Amino acid sequence: MTRSPLYMQILKEQERNVIDTGTANDIGDLNLAYLLLAKRLVTEDIALAMYRLGMSRELADLLGSLSLSQIVKLAGSSLLLCRFRFDDHPMLSALTLEGKNPALQQAHAAILLSGQQLEAVR
Amino acid sequence: MAGKSVIVEAREIHLAMDLIKLGARLQFLEAETSLSRDRLIKLYKELKGTSPPKGLLPFSTDWFMTWLSNIHSSMFYNIYRFMVVHGGCTRINAIIKSYRLYIEQVQQQGGEPVLDFTRAWTLVRFFDSDMLQLSTCTRCTGLFVAHAHDSQSNYVCVLCRPPSRAGKTRPSGAKRDETEGGSPAAAGGTPAISSSQWLANVMNSSRTA
Repeated sequence: MTRSPLYMQILKEQERNVIDTGTANDIGDLNLAYLLLAKRLVTEDIALAMYRLGMSRELADLLGSLSLSQIVKLAGSSLLLCRFRFDDHPMLSALTLEGKNPALQQAHAAILLSGQQLEAVR
Repeated sequence: MAGKSVIVEAREIHLAMDLIKLGARLQFLEAETSLSRDRLIKLYKELKGTSPPKGLLPFSTDWFMTWLSNIHSSMFYNIYRFMVVHGGCTRINAIIKSYRLYIEQVQQQGGEPVLDFTRAWTLVRFFDSDMLQLSTCTRCTGLFVAHAHDSQSNYVCVLCRPPSRAGKTRPSGAKRDETEGGSPAAAGGTPAISSSQWLANVMNSSRTA
């Protein structure tokens, strides 16, 4: 049985769709994990949570006050909700160029991240 | 002690217990709580099973400048500053929280803590009395512990430009590092010891001298 070009195209499209929803699901899972973790950290100890998440108190408070259904709704997005924290060029190059001792690199990352400007509600 | 609120005292005892568990020395406890010396000694014995170590607290800012000590103290102080500036913690609470975080981070990295609790506390006191400052590294933009009034203009941190010796002789374990960059006494041929042990040795020898 020969398949028409149109049919083949539909098949391809479907395949692409499958991949796409896979990515979206992965992102949604990550969002959910992130928000749940953030909420848990904030309820445990807000100062520690702010340090670990790199967030201002307002933002941390906000995340901590989200209800479970709000979290689920917010997480169900195809866009990532958390941001890459090494968004500064000198910082990133200092960490990646070094590349010799992982422990030292971790220490360096910790120093850089804790001195960084916080993610805040603007 | 008479006329003091029992609740306040209970809180102070709780604080003292936290501090002792983290490895605080007696002078530290006396400075941070209003409990009597006798009570503190009793508390210490109950928790640790031994008498508190005697001797003076470390007083030199130079210790924080050697390679590995500088990395660890910068790590600790950055966390501490975060806790005070952003976390809204009181001084002593910030010290406790940031020291726990520091230990957690070091263990996560598979290393051993170089900065003991007393050192961490002294570090904060040095900053409070303007003997130390944070210098911004011109390469990585990180903040590092430095002597007060040191020139900031061309400062490059110990991680961006490690001293040649520290880079070459780095073994995988952190214990050797301590003898390498950390304690001058241990570098002089004695086997690897922990920094607190080193501190105790130094203090004992200075007392007998």
